Amino acid sequence: MSALLAIEDLRVTFNTRYGQVTALDGVSLHVNAGETLGVVGESGCGKSITALATMGLIPMPPGRIAGGSIRLEGEELVGAAPARMRGLRGADIAMIFQEPMTSLNPVFTVGAQIAEAIMLHQKVSPDQAFKDAIALLDRVGIPSPDARARDYPHQLSGGMRQRVMIAMAVSCRPKVLIADEPTTALDVTVQAQIFDLLNEIQRDFGAAIILITHDMGAISEMADRVAVMYAGRVIEEAQADDVLDFPQHPYARGLIDCIPALGREDHALREIPGVVPPLHLLGAGCAFADRCEHTNARCKTEKPLLAAHGHHPAACHAVEEGRI
Amino acid sequence: MSSSYLLRRTGYGLLLMLGVVVLNFLLIRLAPGDPAVVIAGEMGGATEEMLESIREEYGLNKPVLTQLAIYVGNVLQGNLGESFFFNQPVSKLIADRIGPTILLVITAQLMSIALGVFLGVIAARKPNGAMSAFVSVFATIGYAVPVFWTGIMLIILFASSFPIFPVEGMQSVKLRDAAWYVQTIDILHHLVLPAFTLAIIYLAQYARLSRASMLEVLGSDYIRTARAKGASEKSVLFKHALRNAALPILTVAGLQFGNLISGALLVETVFNWPGMGRLAFDSILRRDYPTIMGVLFFASAMVVIANILTDISYRWADPRLRGRS
Ligand SMILES: Nc1ncnc2c1ncn2[C@@H]1O[C@H](COP(=O)(O)OP(=O)(O)OP(=O)(O)O)[C@@H](O)[C@H]1O
Ligand SMILES: [Mg+2]
Repeated sequence: MSALLAIEDLRVTFNTRYGQVTALDGVSLHVNAGETLGVVGESGCGKSITALATMGLIPMPPGRIAGGSIRLEGEELVGAAPARMRGLRGADIAMIFQEPMTSLNPVFTVGAQIAEAIMLHQKVSPDQAFKDAIALLDRVGIPSPDARARDYPHQLSGGMRQRVMIAMAVSCRPKVLIADEPTTALDVTVQAQIFDLLNEIQRDFGAAIILITHDMGAISEMADRVAVMYAGRVIEEAQADDVLDFPQHPYARGLIDCIPALGREDHALREIPGVVPPLHLLGAGCAFADRCEHTNARCKTEKPLLAAHGHHPAACHAVEEGRI
Repeated sequence: MSSSYLLRRTGYGLLLMLGVVVLNFLLIRLAPGDPAVVIAGEMGGATEEMLESIREEYGLNKPVLTQLAIYVGNVLQGNLGESFFFNQPVSKLIADRIGPTILLVITAQLMSIALGVFLGVIAARKPNGAMSAFVSVFATIGYAVPVFWTGIMLIILFASSFPIFPVEGMQSVKLRDAAWYVQTIDILHHLVLPAFTLAIIYLAQYARLSRASMLEVLGSDYIRTARAKGASEKSVLFKHALRNAALPILTVAGLQFGNLISGALLVETVFNWPGMGRLAFDSILRRDYPTIMGVLFFASAMVVIANILTDISYRWADPRLRGRS
């Protein structure tokens, strides 16, 4: 069975003042119907760019899709006509963003904003669209949806706004729902509620979810499969349990070690030493080499490819050579 | 919009007007020149005796503060006094001329906002494109060139080379008795050049301002959300972005209204437009205190009203400013 959404060897570049940088360097991902794919990785590793490329929302210029393909049910999206992409966005692929505080337009009521999404893709009257919007607000757990639909975004809390965003995103029953760090800006109890809601929505609407997050706890609860990204590449990909229990790549191991409860016995918050190198300073070797304790000469000169050497696919020479 | 807010805002407006009346009065009395001499000059002779009797007649010999008190008292009763020069009530002089001025100022305001914002939005679509460069250059030129120069150039151009727009007055004499719609078209025809002359400075400013404002708004998260739901580029620009970018434009439009009125004074003089500008010009030359003060009174009333309208539209445009209901 071919995947619902398949991204293959996607390359995205940006023109910056340091010259052209490669933000995505051959990313391949796929998600099947009804499945949740978790995408994890440090800030700046290209998670959002991957999502935006799928939506056809990379700002061009300065961005450019330099190669690769994105297929939705076999239909190529890279280079698709703008009108076709507008037809798919919000209807077949929808996205929830990280910042609920700023992602809604401050001058329109939330009901009107959801109704707009409905009317863009379905032939319904404005009245009916507004009624549907109210029903959706009810569905995502907003109390007195009738009154809230007439509120402006600034009158709602962050958690409520993110529910509005979810209502808007699922309003046309998308096949793929991309949630880009949907809970980062919210407090912990609200985070759990939003994840519960996403699970319910997936059950009811049958959408495939791509969940982008820093939060390994969310991954263990939500994701069926996980892709770990680093510096514009996927460096490990497997079933969620496999990645959580047997991380292969030293970076994935580091990420798992950073989870207080899931990791080793000591409860001190750990972090991976060093930072992601800036894109314009990426060399020929493994992008993680400078932060890795298993680095050898080959790591500094040759980029490792994603391949099954150990337990499951990882892009690491040390794993391939059986050194770890 | 709460009516108590409107009431409070109107109250402030009235207080402000009172301040303006007092200030106008004092400023004009502080300026050099003696109206009695001018009035006497009009009559042809000027013995000291005659000047005294003129001062007596117009109350110019009383202490300035007494004159102020009398004037403010009169204004509060709706009496702006009698013109020294035209020998008519000031309110009648102004009533005859305020219509054309309001027509000119409002047309110029709408023209500059509509065209300026449109140019700005188009330019913001491609910040490095040719249209953007044009808007920047045009804004600088439009801002630097004085209105009377633009006016005179347009007169030269249209009076001789392309006589398609009238360059003088507000109505054609031969159409004075025509049907109302013919007259309306005639007035609009006469309005084109003066309104455009007045609009052009502000048009350039609105273009630059809305370009900047749009560029900022287009980078915001909710614009990305609008695109993510599949909104067309037109809807993103003119619905989602412009409603937000309009807020600073509204503020400036309100503030510019005063400048627009003083600009109208010059444009009316250049195009012989029968409005308050011409009246102001004549009454200043003749030290016709009551008329000058009447003109200033109405000009500031227009500014105060414009500011109240700006406030109201601002609250309409930005729901965050409205009280919770
Ligand atoms: N408009 C742009 N111009 C230049 N570089 C960009 C632009 N947008 C993104 N990038 C670069 O692309 C890389 C990937 O960014 P992306 O937003 O996908 O990171 P991310 O993984 O989502 O990080 P975070 O967890 O912080 O959201 C970053 O290094 C960033 O600097
Ligand atoms: Mg991101």
